[in-house]
Amino acid sequence: MLARRASAFARSFATVVDNAGVKVAAIDNGQPTTAVTFLVKAGSRYEPKPGVAHTLKNFAFKSTAKRSALGTVRESELYGGVLSASLSREYLALTSEFLRGDESFFVDLMSSFLTSSKFQRHEFQEYVLPVVAAESTSASQNPATYALELAHSLAFRSGLGSSLFASPHSHVSLDDVKEFAARAFSKGNIAVLGTGIDSAALTQLVEKALAGVSVGNAVAESKPSTYFGGETRVESHGGPQTVFIGFGAAGPMDPALAILSAHLSPQPSVKWSQGLSPISAAIPQGTSVQSVLMPYSDATLFGLLVQGSSAEGVKEAAKVATKALKESTGLKGDALKTAVAKAKFTAASSLDGRDGIFGALSTKVFANSDASIEATLASIDKVDAAAFSKSVAAITKAKPTFVAIGSVQALPFADEVGL
Amino acid sequence: MNVLGPSLAPYIRSSRTLKKYVTPIAHWYADLMGYRKMGLKYDDLQVEESPQVQRALGRLTPRETYDRSFRFKIASDCDLHHKPLPKEQWSKPEDDKRYLQPHILNVLKEEEERFTWDTMTVQRK
Repeated sequence: MLARRASAFARSFATVVDNAGVKVAAIDNGQPTTAVTFLVKAGSRYEPKPGVAHTLKNFAFKSTAKRSALGTVRESELYGGVLSASLSREYLALTSEFLRGDESFFVDLMSSFLTSSKFQRHEFQEYVLPVVAAESTSASQNPATYALELAHSLAFRSGLGSSLFASPHSHVSLDDVKEFAARAFSKGNIAVLGTGIDSAALTQLVEKALAGVSVGNAVAESKPSTYFGGETRVESHGGPQTVFIGFGAAGPMDPALAILSAHLSPQPSVKWSQGLSPISAAIPQGTSVQSVLMPYSDATLFGLLVQGSSAEGVKEAAKVATKALKESTGLKGDALKTAVAKAKFTAASSLDGRDGIFGALSTKVFANSDASIEATLASIDKVDAAAFSKSVAAITKAKPTFVAIGSVQALPFADEVGL
Repeated sequence: MNVLGPSLAPYIRSSRTLKKYVTPIAHWYADLMGYRKMGLKYDDLQVEESPQVQRALGRLTPRETYDRSFRFKIASDCDLHHKPLPKEQWSKPEDDKRYLQPHILNVLKEEEERFTWDTMTVQRK
């Protein structure tokens, strides 16, 4: 069953570099709705000043030369489409989901943002800035999100370390956003992904729509990432006590990390059970641990997010988590086989949903590699006990990234937890 | 009748001969109106007690808003003295641009677009 789906995925996937460098990839599994994503290399990694990428993402679907903001929303509502824009550290993704047959309208709508957005001052003041402020506030008040932002900034400093959210301290002007858009929206930086649409049809629409875009003269440059690591503590109240213990490495993701994440993840396969993770057996009541794996194109951040209602519980749970992480260098035999199987399943089942498909495609489409789930699964399978142990030892030898958010006088320091 | 009032200007501009002969008369009349002697611009005379013009005023840059308030202050002061300003302080004809009219036109266009979207009937082909 898995093999059949995997081969269907490999068969209907096609990467086409069209005449001037916009990469197009599409999968058609016969679903009744289509989703098209325009992926632009305008993530927070490439922003010239803090907060610009976040602001640009909120400018999506506002007035363009072709239609006003109101017209965009009303017309797509009449078609029954759903528009969304999302920002990751490497990409800005504009997505629309709609019924089959409406692709010409929606591709035109999204490409008009890339080619002819007006960036009007009054829309900036009235629509964009309040939303940017609201999103930044809500992110800073969620300890888990805030911990990950701090972890990235400690781990990678510039580039991948830039926050996904604008801060109230950094003033972003309309000119900053326009300049960033002008540099980022060039053909070398744009890829188009589609599900529920034929690759040739999508390519044709994209060629027509992006005919006016400047050819990649300013492909987004970013220094290659280096991993640094560090420790920080932030006083906070009103949310769970949070500790993030992370490790990172430069370079493309090591499959051993996927296996490590699967081994340590306390997420049980059977609901209400404790699961087989060495962590879930030993953490105190009222605390939770999540394993976090964030692979980027040239670096990876792996970690464990510990949350709980009391600082003492979180300290205990963090000690358990670190111990389990350090002991997993010795993973072999059946336990390793379990972890490998779990990692393979996570990788394969992520392709069940649209988000997973786009996530998998986005990592491959800019690298121009052949996207195939079999290759990913094979690379996970190839990791044996010795290779796994070597990878884990290498990653834990580097400087850890430790973030504590909550009552800082009671939360542990990195050395108290065993790092 | 919209907030900008009736205007033959588009019709006159569309014809080259009319434009050639009417433009000097228009310039003479604008001078005769006397608002420049109080340091004002033509769009300062725009009736602002309407929701459309208030929206348009919200779209001015902070500098434009400040300059407008300053001109009003100078003009109020003139009115107290019952005297026009000295000649050096009259606003110059080349500076007398319609800074508010484009914003008002955009607001009117947007309102009309909203009305169209609110009241259209839709048929799926």
